[in-house]
Amino acid sequence: MKKILLPAALLAFPRLLHAATAATSLEGGFKVGPAIILITILILFVLVGIIFRAKDTTDFYAAGRGISKVGSGMAIASNWMSAASFLGMAALMYGSGYHGLAYVVGWTGGYVLLLILMAGQIRKYGKYTAADFIGDRYYSSTLRAVGAIIAILISISYCVGQFGGIGLMFKWVLGIEYSWAVIIGGTVVLTYTLISGMLGVTKNMQIQYVIIIISFLIPLFILTAKFDYFWLLPQIGYGSVVSDAISGLPINETKALVNSLGHDYAIVPVPEYAMPWDPATGKSFFQWIAIAFSLMIGTAGLPHVIQRFYVVPKARDARWSVVWGLFFISILYWSAPAYAAFGKILSAHPEVGALAKDAIVVYTAQLGNIHPLIVGLLAAGGVSAAFSTVSGLLVAGSSAFAHDLYFKVINPKASPQKQLLYARLATILMAIIVTLIALKNFALIGQLVAVAFSLAGCTIFPLFLLGIWWSGSNKAGAIAGLITGGSVSLIAITYFIAGKSGLTLPAHDFISYWLEAWYFAWFGAPLAIIVHIIVSKMTKETPIEIRKFLVEQVHS
Amino acid sequence: MDPSKNDYHFSFFKPTTESARHNRNMVVQLVSIWAVAIFGFQIILKIIEKPVPEPALTLFESSWIAIEAGTPSAIDYQGAGQAVLSVLGKIAIKADDKLLLENALSTFAWQLSDQNDEFKSTVSAFEEIAASITDISDETYVTKKNELIPVLAGLFGLNELDVRSKIAPLEVKSSLMESFEDSGMDRMVETMGLYLTHNRSVLTDTKFLGFPFHYFYTAVFLLILFIGLCWLYCIRTDMFNKKYGIED
Repeated sequence: MKKILLPAALLAFPRLLHAATAATSLEGGFKVGPAIILITILILFVLVGIIFRAKDTTDFYAAGRGISKVGSGMAIASNWMSAASFLGMAALMYGSGYHGLAYVVGWTGGYVLLLILMAGQIRKYGKYTAADFIGDRYYSSTLRAVGAIIAILISISYCVGQFGGIGLMFKWVLGIEYSWAVIIGGTVVLTYTLISGMLGVTKNMQIQYVIIIISFLIPLFILTAKFDYFWLLPQIGYGSVVSDAISGLPINETKALVNSLGHDYAIVPVPEYAMPWDPATGKSFFQWIAIAFSLMIGTAGLPHVIQRFYVVPKARDARWSVVWGLFFISILYWSAPAYAAFGKILSAHPEVGALAKDAIVVYTAQLGNIHPLIVGLLAAGGVSAAFSTVSGLLVAGSSAFAHDLYFKVINPKASPQKQLLYARLATILMAIIVTLIALKNFALIGQLVAVAFSLAGCTIFPLFLLGIWWSGSNKAGAIAGLITGGSVSLIAITYFIAGKSGLTLPAHDFISYWLEAWYFAWFGAPLAIIVHIIVSKMTKETPIEIRKFLVEQVHS
Repeated sequence: MDPSKNDYHFSFFKPTTESARHNRNMVVQLVSIWAVAIFGFQIILKIIEKPVPEPALTLFESSWIAIEAGTPSAIDYQGAGQAVLSVLGKIAIKADDKLLLENALSTFAWQLSDQNDEFKSTVSAFEEIAASITDISDETYVTKKNELIPVLAGLFGLNELDVRSKIAPLEVKSSLMESFEDSGMDRMVETMGLYLTHNRSVLTDTKFLGFPFHYFYTAVFLLILFIGLCWLYCIRTDMFNKKYGIED
């Protein structure tokens, strides 16, 4: 063979990259039908928010504790099913195959821990916010303030991914630039949260759950039926899609199955899509385990999730609401991998071009030639998913500021009206910060959200776990554990941001691999727990009033 | 034991009441099932896996020996070309690997065409059209592409209905036909191995309800198990509370 150097030919190559792909045509301009559906749903949310709006601080923080366990389960599911679940999970599986299932397991398995280790006990403790618990349990207003600040940071981190999802969907529906889409979407969700407060949010969440799940399932039924799979239960029917992707799908001469662009429903074998920690994905066994573990303990440490247990009347309701919540969540989590599997085959032809992974759910429906209005409903469902979570997060964050920082630490004489005012100001400030970060578009939605989980796992989780289950856990231990978990978080996030900014820090590759921003809690959380225990054992024991309260009120 | 006699000291592992002891035992049982089900399964998956090449890799390796030695036949180029198309059809490949593979594929096509300038011009003409259009349904573009498909399928010894034949016109580049650096050749075996070797075992190759078993277990069964564990915990806690007269 000739081995001739032809640099000119190689230089000419990039020109070919400008060849047309279908990615732009899938994006398209302003879409009337989907826009009407989206606007109608948003108006519905705001109206429900107005009807059930918060009348005082108790309503704003904890929705009057008047929600049933099934209703609360739906609210948990809606609160939980964010853009990361609706859009991000399929994106992770579409891009990294089996590796993405670590997120599915992590975001559901954590509920088992949350239930059996915390839910009932948290409700029995009887506080409003996570910082409230930390301040009381560790008899320290400083820790309360630190807890509140961490809760705000977690809420901001979690919201960034959501705003990214809202931006992507607004971009798709309105045919505008991502930046404007984030700003417009962020403004709408802020307005709605300010109007409704948490009572409206909880009612809205039940409606949102129904919209989210219906919008997610309808296209899936159609896709499985259209491409000749078992459509009565697409969550099982898509198993054959996965197997087809592994073995390769030849062009079917008799059925002429094609995507919306006219490409055959066919693919070369792509076993890397489903085989564990496949070398082609660049993901390892360790990363799978670390992500699943970090997400699970993060679930049990997220302030806005923990806070939902304060809105049910009894501890029993708190427990059963988790079961219902997990069931409602799982309906979506059983379905999301199906979009990734269909997306893999439907977008296999090179002419489709590079698609934004975080919008693969919508692109898959489009490529499956599903009616534009149904695709529009799907996009609206994605927005609803992000909205329901963002509103819960903004309430949690603003509660942490107004209730835990301002009222409990800075101005204990503040009137309820003043607290509410500060809660709303904090909501606005948080939304602005989140919008500014979301515009940077740092990573995939699922990964951005996972940062919040690791942060919660390293900081809040150890405080709750030991605070509830061990009377020996004291203030000094809590501070030491928090400093440890916080330091690990700081290192991991610093390396992540430095990497994104093009900077190389000492031992960059080593830290980035072992403490990547989406899973540093695998190390940080156990370390924080160990330090917490050692320091607690070496220092003055917990006051008897707290021990008595724990034994008599929380564990009896 | 009356907790006050113990100065209200307690821990999860040293419960002070009968009901707390029951609760501890139940939590230990459920967490053990939970941990083994999640991590135990993945560890087993890791232990029993073996790197298994796709048939395309075996074909490539047998063809590549002659190509690397500088004594290839047309069948060797065809075999290597088919294997490279199997990787390029995967879409999710790194940009520099894609460039390398397109370079190899274009070189193979050039050799298989007997370095025919007319063939190169046909590819080049298609590229010109592809670069100029904004819509992939453009009539001229589709016509030229459909003309090129049988040409390339013939060169690579593929059936026109083979998926790889359909993507070949988009992967063969006229500008990459006459160059293939030594460094590129050195990377070929490693690159092809990366995309065509997969971790497989009896758990990945067994089918269950249409799924590869390991996929079903992780994506479907584990979620059912989680709900089941939560349900069991609630039922048993309700029973304990009733038995010990605990009011929520």
